[in-house]
Parts: sequence; C-alpha cells; structure tokens
Amino acid sequence: MPVRSATLDPRELALRIRLRAGRRVAPQGFGYLGQALSSAEQVAAVFGAARPGVDRIVCSPGHYIIGPFAAAAELGLLSEDAVAGYGQNGSAVEAIGTERSPVVDYTCGSLGQGLSAALGFALADRFRGSDARVFTMVSDGELEEGQVWEAALFAAHHRLDRLVVLLDANNSQVDGPVDSITTLEPIAAKWSAFGWHAVDLDGHDVSAVCDALGAAAAERERPSVLVCRTSTRHGLDCLPPDADGHFTKLPPSLVAAAERELTGQLEALGA
Amino acid sequence: MREPPYPTELKPYGRALVDLARRRADVLCLSGDLTRQTEVDLFQAEFGERFIHGGMAEANMMGMAGALARCGFVPFVHTFGVFATRRPYDQIANAIAYPNLPVRIIGFMPGVSTPGGPSHQATDDVALMRALPNMTVVDVADAVETRQVVSAVVDVPGPVYVRLKRGEIPVIFDSDHVLRLDRASVVVAGTDVALFASGMMLAAALAAARALGACGVSVSVINVPVIKPLDTAGVLAAASPSSVRLVVTAENHSIVGGLGSAVAETMAEAGVGCPLRRVGLRDTFAEGALDAPYLFERYGLSTAAIVETIWSALGCSGAPPAVPVAAAGGGEYSPV
Repeated sequence: MPVRSATLDPRELALRIRLRAGRRVAPQGFGYLGQALSSAEQVAAVFGAARPGVDRIVCSPGHYIIGPFAAAAELGLLSEDAVAGYGQNGSAVEAIGTERSPVVDYTCGSLGQGLSAALGFALADRFRGSDARVFTMVSDGELEEGQVWEAALFAAHHRLDRLVVLLDANNSQVDGPVDSITTLEPIAAKWSAFGWHAVDLDGHDVSAVCDALGAAAAERERPSVLVCRTSTRHGLDCLPPDADGHFTKLPPSLVAAAERELTGQLEALGA
Repeated sequence: MREPPYPTELKPYGRALVDLARRRADVLCLSGDLTRQTEVDLFQAEFGERFIHGGMAEANMMGMAGALARCGFVPFVHTFGVFATRRPYDQIANAIAYPNLPVRIIGFMPGVSTPGGPSHQATDDVALMRALPNMTVVDVADAVETRQVVSAVVDVPGPVYVRLKRGEIPVIFDSDHVLRLDRASVVVAGTDVALFASGMMLAAALAAARALGACGVSVSVINVPVIKPLDTAGVLAAASPSSVRLVVTAENHSIVGGLGSAVAETMAEAGVGCPLRRVGLRDTFAEGALDAPYLFERYGLSTAAIVETIWSALGCSGAPPAVPVAAAGGGEYSPV
C-alpha cells in the first residue's frame, strides 16, 4: 500500500507508468506491457485516491503488477534499484506478482483470486470499525473464473460498500480477444444484477475514472465496479495493430519509437 | 487407555472452539454451508458477530480466510474434508500456504467414514495438504485429542489442516492424555511389529494388536496425530529393524500420499530395510454403501484386514486369528 499519496497529475502519472513499463520490458524484448498500457489510467487514479496507510490496493491479476510498480517508482515509494530488478533472476520484483511483490496488499498470478482477498480485507476492516477502502484491480479475462462470481455474490450480500473493483475490460486474453472466446457482455449489467453499483466508462479517460472512484466512495450499501473500456495498445501507436495484448513483443526496432512517442506525449502535457 | 466398546461424545470440537473463542477475540469462524455438521452451530449461537457464512463457495471462502489472516485474525474454516481440499486447492496453495498464513482448515468426515460416495469421501485430503509447503496436517484419533486440538493448533505460525470424524466421537484415551503436535507416541509397546495408525484407524489398530498378541505376535501401536511435519525420529525409533521385523501403517485414506507414504519415505531415506505394508484405500474410489462399517470392511480398513496383513507379511502359518468385534450399543463406538 502506498505510504504517501500521489502528487502527480493522474494524466502525467498514467503516461509515466507506460514509459516505465516500456523501459522495463524493453531489455527482454517482450513482456506484460499490454496490461500496463490498458490499465495505466486506472492505476494512476487508484494511487491518487488511496489514503496512505489506510486504504488497500489489490492487484488481482499478477500479470498487471508492472503498473503498480511503475506508479510506486514514480511516486518515490519504490526504489529505482528495486524496479530495475523487474523480472530478473533472484529479484523480489517478479514479472508476475508473487508474495514478495512490494507495493500492493495482494496479488496473485493464478487468476480470479484477488476479489476474494479484497473481501477478506473489507471484512477485516469492518470487524475493526474502519472505513478503509479496498481498491481492487480485476481483468475482464478473470471473469471467466467462477471464483470471481462467488466473490461478487458475497460482497453484495454483505453490502461491502467500501469495496471498489476497477475492471480492466481490455478484451484481451492469451488465446485472443475475450469476446471471441467467451461472451461476457453485458458486463456492467451482470454486476448490477448481482447487486453492485456498476458504471461503464472509457478507461483511458483518467478524469472519468477518478470521478467514478469518487462516486463509488459515496455509495452506501453496495460495492462498486468500474467497467473500464480499454485497449492493450493505448498510448503506443507504434505497436502493430495485431500486437499480442497478453505478452507484448517490443523488439529493439520498436523500443526507440515507443520511447519517442511516450516522451513526446509527456512534453505535450508540459511535464 | 480405555477398552472397547468406547463411550462417545457429541460435538467435542464445537465446544472446544467456543471455549477458545471466549479467550481469543481474534478467532473467527467460517462455514461452507455445513454449520451444524461441522459442530460450529455452537460458535454461531454464542459469537454470531464473529461467524461468517461462506456459503457453497469454497474457493472464495479460502481466499477471504487468507486475507483475514493477513489482517491479524485467526480464521477457522469449516466444511467437509473433501470440499475443503480438492475444490479450493489452488486457492489454499496461493492464498494461504504460500504466504504461510495462520488459517485453520477443519475438514470433517474423513475417508470412508461416510457412505456418501466418492464425491463426499475425503480419501486424498491428507496427500493434497501434505504436498503443500508450510502446511501442518493433523488427524486426531478420539474425543480427548479432538478437545485439545483446537488449542494445540491455534498458535501454529502457518496454516493447519485438521481432519475430524463427524458425529459420535469415541473416547479412547484417558482424560490425562496430552495431544502433542511434535510427537508420534507409542501407545502400546511390542517387539515384532510397529503398527503406525492415524485418526479413525487407531481404534482398529489397537484391536488388531490385541488379537495378534493373543496369538504370540507382539505389536507396538504408534499413534500419529500429525502426519506433517512427521515425527521422523519417533518413526525411525519405532521402525528400526533392531526393534521390529515388520512395519505397518493404517490410515483411513488412500495409501498414496498419506501416512503410509510419509512413513515409507522416512524409512527409505534413513536406509531402514524393514518390510513395510500399508493398510488403506488401495488407489481406489469407494462406492456403494448404506453405512461406513461396510466400506471399512470392503476396502480393507477393518481390524481383520490389519490382522491379515500382519499375519501374512510375517509368514505365519494357518489362518489369522479371528477378530472379536465388540458390540457397540447406542452411543458407543467400536471399530469394524
């Protein structure tokens, strides 16, 4: 969990998350870059909203952990040395989140488990009379796991209103687009039917994500889910249209282009 | 130790958990839609605010329990052993065992103690839990140990799986018996055979030792309430060829991966060259029954099966001794 709040403008933080993720993936030439590109705005919004030492951050899909690592590094919560070890032999900063992963309160490479952990945190906070929020990153592919729906039922039944899910609907899983493998739609209506406060929004509109987190905080009685419509290529036009969103290739020829593109966007932002 | 037929008790676990909860505000109780069956209706009645219905959703229940443990609570999670282990195995591995959290998983109705068919029989739960790093695996033998197991496991630093008989629980040990998690204890001393038993098989092992003793075969019976971490020193002391000619294990579980495997691994790694026989389910599911005693007999878990195993392994001539089955009246328990 963060020890201090984000001080960067969330738009700038989202760009810096992409830039850092690209730089960490570049040495290997491939990695979990698509997840960082699709979730950058959600991560930036969470790190802006989470109260240090009070609220919790769950990154359910361990493959997304580069995003929280990058945000923490930008905010001075994680040392440059630690980030530099990302995905290296012997490093605690593993490419798929593990128990040794810093920054977040829970992550797991076996998908679909994070929401249950979030419920445990929310119950523990309720037992102790705390109003702490639990920010939970979940991916759309994880909705194929039954455990997510077990957890969704439980959260609504117990009115865990301090719980908010940021559902990264990037339509990407290992075998291809999620909607070519399983029909998840209508996603928001499913969560609504389960008793959640559900909103459908452009996940790359960081103001919209921040506002939705604010609205979720005001919810009483219901947990909230933000269905964030995103792309695993967002912010990197240099990636080919058919780039693998789960395990993105970033050959040397693309590294320089990606660096140029992202630093250009940062300059345009006046950062 | 008492003689069969043994008196029985109802809900020794449920009462012990309530006693613990009175002393420990950090104890939580989770139930997977088997509240009365796992004796925690008693907890729910007294500590409703610390009782959580997980519903029929074991994967979610294990994940929540892990996070509650991260927050400083000691969750006791209850369901049948088969549902507590097979269904949420990946959740236990990732959300409980790998982070080494103090979740206590209480699995009732071990092995073929239920005629509910393979779907309800926890016949590989010990093997599954034993394969997980950090996990302690406990299979207690009677009501005296069951009463003590709650306090014994509450402060174990990592996760614990406890396997408990459901319903009428026999009282085998005297009331001064002390359950130790670090010790396999010799409850009967003998010179020819070392017979290791866990859980429900202790009563049958004691009966087998008695029957064989009457025919001149001296059997020591070692109660093994903790299968992991196994008391390897105790096993080797009892199983050494200088002390016995034969080692036998008896478990209400598959012979693959449970007590028999644990003892075999210990002997093999120590170079103990003593013959070994494993009594248990012989790599099979157990079908077709009105009652548990039928299954114990049919699948080779009876007192007679232990006697026959030892008799033939020792090369004794003639028919093995008959096993007098102590008739159990209402509220009494006698092994098959």
